Amino acid sequence: MNEVIVSMKDITKSFPGVKALDHVQFELRSGEVMALLGENGAGKSTLMKILSGVYTRDEGTVEIFGKQYDNLTPKQAQEVGVAIIHQELNMCRHLSVTENMFLGREVKGRVSLNNSAMQKEAKRILDDLNMDIDPNQMVGELPVSKQQMVEIAKALSINARVLIMDEPTSALTAKEIEDLFRIIRKLKADGCGIVYISHRLEELAHIVDRVTIMRDGQYITSGSFAEMTMDTIITNMVGREIKEKFPRVACPKGRKVFEVRNLNAGRMVRNINFSVYEGEIVGIAGLMGAGRTETTRAIFGVDPKESGEIYVDGKPVRITCPMDAIKNGVVLAPEDRKKDGLCTKLSIRQNLALPNLDLVCNQFGVINSKKEEALCEKAVKDLLIKTPNVEIDSGNLSGGNQQKVVVGKWLARNSRVVIFDEPTRGIDVGAKVEIYNLMNELKKQGIAVLFVSSEMPEVMGIADRILVMCDGRITGEVLAQETTQNEILKYATAFENKNIQKS
Amino acid sequence: MNNKQQSPLKKLLGIRGMGAALTAFVGLIIIYIAFGVINPAVFSGQNILNLLRSMSKYLLIGIAQSYVLITGNIDLSIGSVAGMSAMITATLMVGGMHPVPAILITLLCCLVIGVINGYLVGKFKLPPFIATLGTMFVARGIAYMVNGNRNTDAIATGVGKETGDAFQNFFYYGKTFGVYNTFWIALIVFVIFFFLLSKTRTGRHIYAIGSNVEAAKLSGVNVVATTIKTYLVSAGCACLVGWILCAQAGMGNMEAGNMYEMYGVAAGVIGGVSPLGGTGILLGTFAGAAVWQTLENGLNMIGAQVGIQRVVIGVIVVAAVLLDVVVRNGQFGKRKKKN
Repeated sequence: MNEVIVSMKDITKSFPGVKALDHVQFELRSGEVMALLGENGAGKSTLMKILSGVYTRDEGTVEIFGKQYDNLTPKQAQEVGVAIIHQELNMCRHLSVTENMFLGREVKGRVSLNNSAMQKEAKRILDDLNMDIDPNQMVGELPVSKQQMVEIAKALSINARVLIMDEPTSALTAKEIEDLFRIIRKLKADGCGIVYISHRLEELAHIVDRVTIMRDGQYITSGSFAEMTMDTIITNMVGREIKEKFPRVACPKGRKVFEVRNLNAGRMVRNINFSVYEGEIVGIAGLMGAGRTETTRAIFGVDPKESGEIYVDGKPVRITCPMDAIKNGVVLAPEDRKKDGLCTKLSIRQNLALPNLDLVCNQFGVINSKKEEALCEKAVKDLLIKTPNVEIDSGNLSGGNQQKVVVGKWLARNSRVVIFDEPTRGIDVGAKVEIYNLMNELKKQGIAVLFVSSEMPEVMGIADRILVMCDGRITGEVLAQETTQNEILKYATAFENKNIQKS
Repeated sequence: MNNKQQSPLKKLLGIRGMGAALTAFVGLIIIYIAFGVINPAVFSGQNILNLLRSMSKYLLIGIAQSYVLITGNIDLSIGSVAGMSAMITATLMVGGMHPVPAILITLLCCLVIGVINGYLVGKFKLPPFIATLGTMFVARGIAYMVNGNRNTDAIATGVGKETGDAFQNFFYYGKTFGVYNTFWIALIVFVIFFFLLSKTRTGRHIYAIGSNVEAAKLSGVNVVATTIKTYLVSAGCACLVGWILCAQAGMGNMEAGNMYEMYGVAAGVIGGVSPLGGTGILLGTFAGAAVWQTLENGLNMIGAQVGIQRVVIGVIVVAAVLLDVVVRNGQFGKRKKKN
């Protein structure tokens, strides 16, 4: 075992105006998990797209299982056993698990499709991996984690020997990640080579054997994970030392700014009570599906409330739609930036200005382009958004910079309460710290900051007080500096007695 | 940022959607010259005037459809609304009503259809294709019903020859500064709606909804109200087209405006308005309407038969969009892949 199965040497790839890869090398052995690390825009995805045949390289050699490929096509790559699982899942939501797994290579009977054979095969693979998934279920009905497992199963059903996973855990809960790791370990034992791309460095220790680090399109270093400290890895990735992963500023606790009383909105938001004071960041922790996002959406007026009162600076406010919330100084930077946060076809300028048009318009609703430009330039400068100008499509920015636009559009106005829902998901270490600093800045200004996150180290490192949610209720409240992960987890799994059947 | 040093021309070219619009204008010039070489009468002053007048209808219906397309929706009812407008106006005038109240009453009726479309799509989340398919039939049905399933008599029989002529001249046969009024009307409407779409808050909201309705909602955009506004614009423009058709014929024709909703789509799409929403500018629609009319006019002038005309126009619409897709994909494929 452990022979080299993928060897890429001196890979160079340019796109007009950008040199995405500059003489990069990469090696993968069978039966190992290789972490491919680097900041957003370091060239990881480009390199993997070359390996899977999506892009052709300009220079260099690609060798898979000892055979050199000059013009690798995606189909060829698939045939030799290279499978890639993208960050954004590529599934047909309205087809069943089996149909998705066999998409494009359906088993035909004499006249029609041989459904039973496909189902049997799908079931065999799913069982083999101990995945508790019904092959007949519609993929759209499955939670994201299960969908991802279906992708893995699909890859294995085509006998993948090289499995590339791009940010596989970004949408998973701790428990689901454990499941994923179990599967990865099994694949490893079976002799698969796995390329693992992730920004969540703390999870590497559980599965990774070796790491390759890239920065700005260049190969930096590689080596055994056990022989590298986390600090070396980060320094190599970022190219500078990050002093504090979780910068914290101390502020005196002031007046009560924000209060929610008896908030109810559907099954996932039940009897929510909490308040936020000046000079503190309140974190909301919990497992996936605990009702955190639903709570923020109900507060912001996106989803209807059944009951509940909201107070800003002691005054009751009525919020029935996002407009009400914004008018009352409550704003939300939503969780899924592609789906909820950005108009990807519009420019950065248009995105930044969208919720602030009232500030840049005259009384007839005509936009003052000078004011608009000023507002955007300030946001770009304050948030260190890396872009040549504000006119380019926001969809073309890297993840971290997209997130900064999502956040930035709310910081242009004077709000009293800023809610961040998973603001650091899928962005690199450096950008994360910038987002944390931003939250700290708001905290210093006396603005109430609510910080929803699934990553426990980050909630514990940034928030002052943490509310833990489980199953639509707040099950615990802890002080960040006095608590432990175990305590939070205990509250996060404090399910009600489930004698009553779930509907 | 180096934005400020950019020359005004560069800035103009930098406006998103400008590329597609300019491409359509270039195509327009090529088509026009090509026809003119075959038949020099295409270049005659009278033909240019005719061209401007007949493209006005397509421009107005194109503006109507573009507003809705940019939000990612579609309005199939506008052709029928134009027909309804022509029939109601004509019927009222044949009955002896003065043109001014007649057109105002008509406008009101048309806007009601717009509000219904807006509510069905914006508030009740019906697929716009279905909702406006329904109102398309309803509006056409009303066009038939207003005069008891018959075309109207000449409007002059009701309001008298003088008033009837005044109405027809105002919307169709009269000229101001040597150009037909129809074109001036369309141009004024174009300028107003161009401004609304590119320079105002509502315009920005229209683009935002077309690009990502969830993000727009979470940014405090009132999606329902904005959607209703776009359908009001489309119904209003369609109503205006109805008056023009009525003035042109001097009577109400139950089939007036037939297929116009699709001409609107064509004008928009040729000019770079994406039916998927979020992109396109009205200048493109202007070019698209002109291309469409130049094709019709030119094919007529070189003596092509109706069948051939349709085929050529159909092929050109698809080719225009195909070209756009190919060019854009080329660019996208290269630009997007930074990481």
